[in-house]
Amino acid sequence: MIELRGVSRTVPSGSGTLTILHPLDLVIPAGRVVAITGPSGSGKSTLLGLIAGLDAPSQGRIVIDGTDITVLGEDGLAKLRGAKIGFVFQFFHLLPSLTAFENVLVPMEIAGGRGGARRADGLLAEVGLTDRRHHYPSQLSGGEQQRVAIARALANDPPILLADEPTGNLDSATGHQVIELLLNVNRTRRTTLVLVTHDPELAALADMTVSLRDGRVVQADERLALADP
Amino acid sequence: MRFVLRMAARELRASWRRLLFFFLCVAIGVGAIVALRSVIQTVRAGLVREARSIIASDVLIQTNRGWTPDLRAEVDRRLADADVLDRTESIETATMVRAEQGRVARMVELRGVEPAFPFYGTLVLRGGQPYSHALVRGRGALVGPELLVQLGIQGGDRIVIGGQPFEVRGIIEQEPGRRVGAFSFGARVLVDLEDLLSTGLLSYGSRASHQILLRVREPAVAALTRRLREDLRDRFVSTRSYQALEDDIGEDLQRAENYLSLVGFVIVVLGGIGVWSVTRVFVRQKIRSVAILKCVGATTRQVLATYVVQVALLGLAGSGLGVALAWLGVASIPASVTAAFGGAAYGLTASAVVQGLLVGLLVSLLFALVPLLEVRRVRPLLLLRGGESGLGAGTPDRTPGWGLGSWLRRIDYVQAGTGVAVTAALVLVASWQAASLRAGGLVSLGFAGVALVLSGAAWAVVRVVRPLSATPWFPLRHAVLSLRRPGNQTRVILLAVGLGSFFVLGVRALQQNLMAEFALELDQRGADMFLIDIQRDQVAGVRQILRERGGEGGAAARLVPVLRARVTAVRGREVNLESYADVRGRGSLAREYTITYRAGLEANETITAGAIWNSEAPLPAAGVQEVSIEQSIHERFDINVGDTMRFDVLGRSLEARVTSVRRVEWEDSRSGGFMFVFRPGALSEAPHSFIGFLRGPADAIDRARLQHALVERYPNISAIDGRDILARIQSIVDNVMLAISIVGGVAFFGGVLILVGAVAMTKFQRVYEAAILRTLGAGTRLLTLMIAIEYCALGLLAGLIGAAGALALSWAVSRHLFDIPWEPTPVLLGAGTILTAALVGTIGVLASLDVLRRKPLGTLRAE
Repeated sequence: MIELRGVSRTVPSGSGTLTILHPLDLVIPAGRVVAITGPSGSGKSTLLGLIAGLDAPSQGRIVIDGTDITVLGEDGLAKLRGAKIGFVFQFFHLLPSLTAFENVLVPMEIAGGRGGARRADGLLAEVGLTDRRHHYPSQLSGGEQQRVAIARALANDPPILLADEPTGNLDSATGHQVIELLLNVNRTRRTTLVLVTHDPELAALADMTVSLRDGRVVQADERLALADP
Repeated sequence: MRFVLRMAARELRASWRRLLFFFLCVAIGVGAIVALRSVIQTVRAGLVREARSIIASDVLIQTNRGWTPDLRAEVDRRLADADVLDRTESIETATMVRAEQGRVARMVELRGVEPAFPFYGTLVLRGGQPYSHALVRGRGALVGPELLVQLGIQGGDRIVIGGQPFEVRGIIEQEPGRRVGAFSFGARVLVDLEDLLSTGLLSYGSRASHQILLRVREPAVAALTRRLREDLRDRFVSTRSYQALEDDIGEDLQRAENYLSLVGFVIVVLGGIGVWSVTRVFVRQKIRSVAILKCVGATTRQVLATYVVQVALLGLAGSGLGVALAWLGVASIPASVTAAFGGAAYGLTASAVVQGLLVGLLVSLLFALVPLLEVRRVRPLLLLRGGESGLGAGTPDRTPGWGLGSWLRRIDYVQAGTGVAVTAALVLVASWQAASLRAGGLVSLGFAGVALVLSGAAWAVVRVVRPLSATPWFPLRHAVLSLRRPGNQTRVILLAVGLGSFFVLGVRALQQNLMAEFALELDQRGADMFLIDIQRDQVAGVRQILRERGGEGGAAARLVPVLRARVTAVRGREVNLESYADVRGRGSLAREYTITYRAGLEANETITAGAIWNSEAPLPAAGVQEVSIEQSIHERFDINVGDTMRFDVLGRSLEARVTSVRRVEWEDSRSGGFMFVFRPGALSEAPHSFIGFLRGPADAIDRARLQHALVERYPNISAIDGRDILARIQSIVDNVMLAISIVGGVAFFGGVLILVGAVAMTKFQRVYEAAILRTLGAGTRLLTLMIAIEYCALGLLAGLIGAAGALALSWAVSRHLFDIPWEPTPVLLGAGTILTAALVGTIGVLASLDVLRRKPLGTLRAE
């Protein structure tokens, strides 16, 4: 479960401060698919970045599976991400100097577990890229790169998968494949999936949606409301 | 840890090409250090092995005055209770030799020996003839091969020494302790000691070394040497052991080794600058990868470790290549150079290799560490920002402001602290390499000072050029904008190029000063022939021969009376030295001086205090003489006009009052130079000999005839042909200069190569902008001009600051470390500055060529 209490984000701008995200409360139940929608600059990606611990809120607390991540340092956050959160980016962000197989292997090596190679092969098979395992990112198409990124995000079998515009850089056919893959992950592994998208078709496939505009929640599924503490 | 190692290996697989330059920088530096150190260590090892055979004994007792009966008795008494296994005697003197059937005479180094000689080392004779004393007994002589050529004789012929005929019974190929390239008066001639004494060459006051050679049980060597030295010093007897000699030679070479190592270290620092600039660019290119790693759970420490391991591996590999380069370099040293420096076969020494590897690794890590620390500041959040790269994206809020407080808050203390630690470590490495905290500190201080000035200059230039950014000329306007835009390269290029030119020009300027110090040319007008040991009753005869056979120069020859003396006491205003023991406490004041007497000053002398005597005036009260001292004696020992000094002149005590202080222009030593000059009087009556200076005949045959005539009539006189000696000194000096030039050359080319790379590395920052400008319609010529203006301006500024630093460095090192006169080198530094600007401009344009040639879309896509 992901819990956000009074979370806001401001940045210094010129002489004053600029509010990117106004204080918001949100609870994302485990195992569900949640879409965060809204126009450009509405604060979607900022919200996702805050949940992933990639950025720190200016105010408020974020609790993931009972852990308050706002009190964690950089290394604590990195460990948490390694164990509990998988991330899929719009621009794939694979390590260019590593093969597809090695990209998938890296999170497991960082976590220090054994049997990583077999598991990486299994994940690549799951995303249908067994024959591309020794290719470098530059030798893969956009869709293939995104599938490697999904396999990498699943490497440590995280309970939470965050995706920032996962189809934003793909043509619609490839985009469909990727969406199917993500939803399949949610179904088979009971992984909580939080998507940022402005694709209404993708948003419609989610269990619940949150809409943002100018850093405020304009519409949210009532199941996402924070129960009184 | 497994992750770190694997990740480092994978990254290297992909990025080694980009880091190739890193690798080369380290290799050049390490190669220089290993090669320089190995060569010197090899030479030293050879010389130390030779140390025992150089003195042919364990302990050598020596005097220039001959063994008087009571002195001999005392030596005997002291040796009786020591652990002496064996003893023998020998006498060495320089004298003239001619062929019995010839007219040519040559200076030789004559040595008379007894049957037990030598205790150590082997005398190698031509044709494998074994050496035994029987060869010289009964007027036999063994001679150096050069004498055969000089006199036109061969084995079995007879030569005349001191008027007596000797038969040449063997040719000395190799003598223990005599090295090729070392200075000597002439060829070696070895005879029986009894025969030498019977020639009558050793008249009173002759220059000869009387030696007692001892073989001593090893543990007693040091103690015996020390005891003899202390007990016999007042009797003008010196004692040395092979151990002390080993130390002497060792010390000289240690100094040379440390100087060259410091130059080697400077080359490594140049490499380090390359390492720094490569790492900096590398980190910038790796920002996204770092963010991804952090995003998938890697801690900052793991990421940092990954890159530190890469740097260490590259550093080690670069050092390995450096060792290979050093091996190649040493193997290609020509045989002629090998011969000049002791003839030992050169190879890499284990300690030099280990040191090189260590220094290479250390410098790689030290120089890479500060830029690598940037990865700490990379936040994974930047991955959400559409692939925009740049440090600071997602960094914590920083309150903008200009106050000291906000400036202090903006300092990255870890990076600053590391910077300080790295600087300290570099000082230590430099000091280790130079084996002197002073030398290491001086070089590091120069490094830090120039770096500081360069940083300041970068800050200033960004502000000073601001008005130019409004200029209507597009290339200039954009060049200026490039200099001061956010994330500009101004500071980096200035630092890399400025420090590079500082070291390259500094070493070069130092080299010029060293060369000037060594440069020795045959003086075209001065004396080139010297006569030694002319006895008083021979003066008139010698003058006559010189007039008859010496041409103009012979007629103008100067014969100067010389005596040998020691200072045994000083009673003065500032110093009071009651006995010779006190004088000895004053260091070199206790050494034996050659003194003279004359009526007035020489052309190269000026009075700085007191007045020279008027020889017309009556002599002062009996017993007290007048003496004029040289400026350096006055300065070093605080001896003033009016003080009284006591001298021991050939065993007689003599008191003299200091009446003047003279400054001698030592550079102009045609007129000779003496520390102590006495007023003619009592000394003229004492037994003494004369030395002669003359400009000998130009023709070699005339010179030989003159020498021959002198030797035939006065066998005890030695006529030294300055031309021979100067030619020999010249060849030694040439070898030293060659060595210095080679080292300087390596530093220069290493430095230039590293500059090229450091500047080329900055192009990555420019590629993207150039591509955008192209899409906006900028032509190749316009872009080239822009880049040229920017780089030339930076090169010029960096060159100027580097040259100023080099000027200061060469001054400080010349005056305070090497203790040699210093000359500014304006041509070198001026040319260096212009060359730097041109070089940086050219490299900037050349490195950007592919940017200028490539289609802009490719560049934009790649970004």
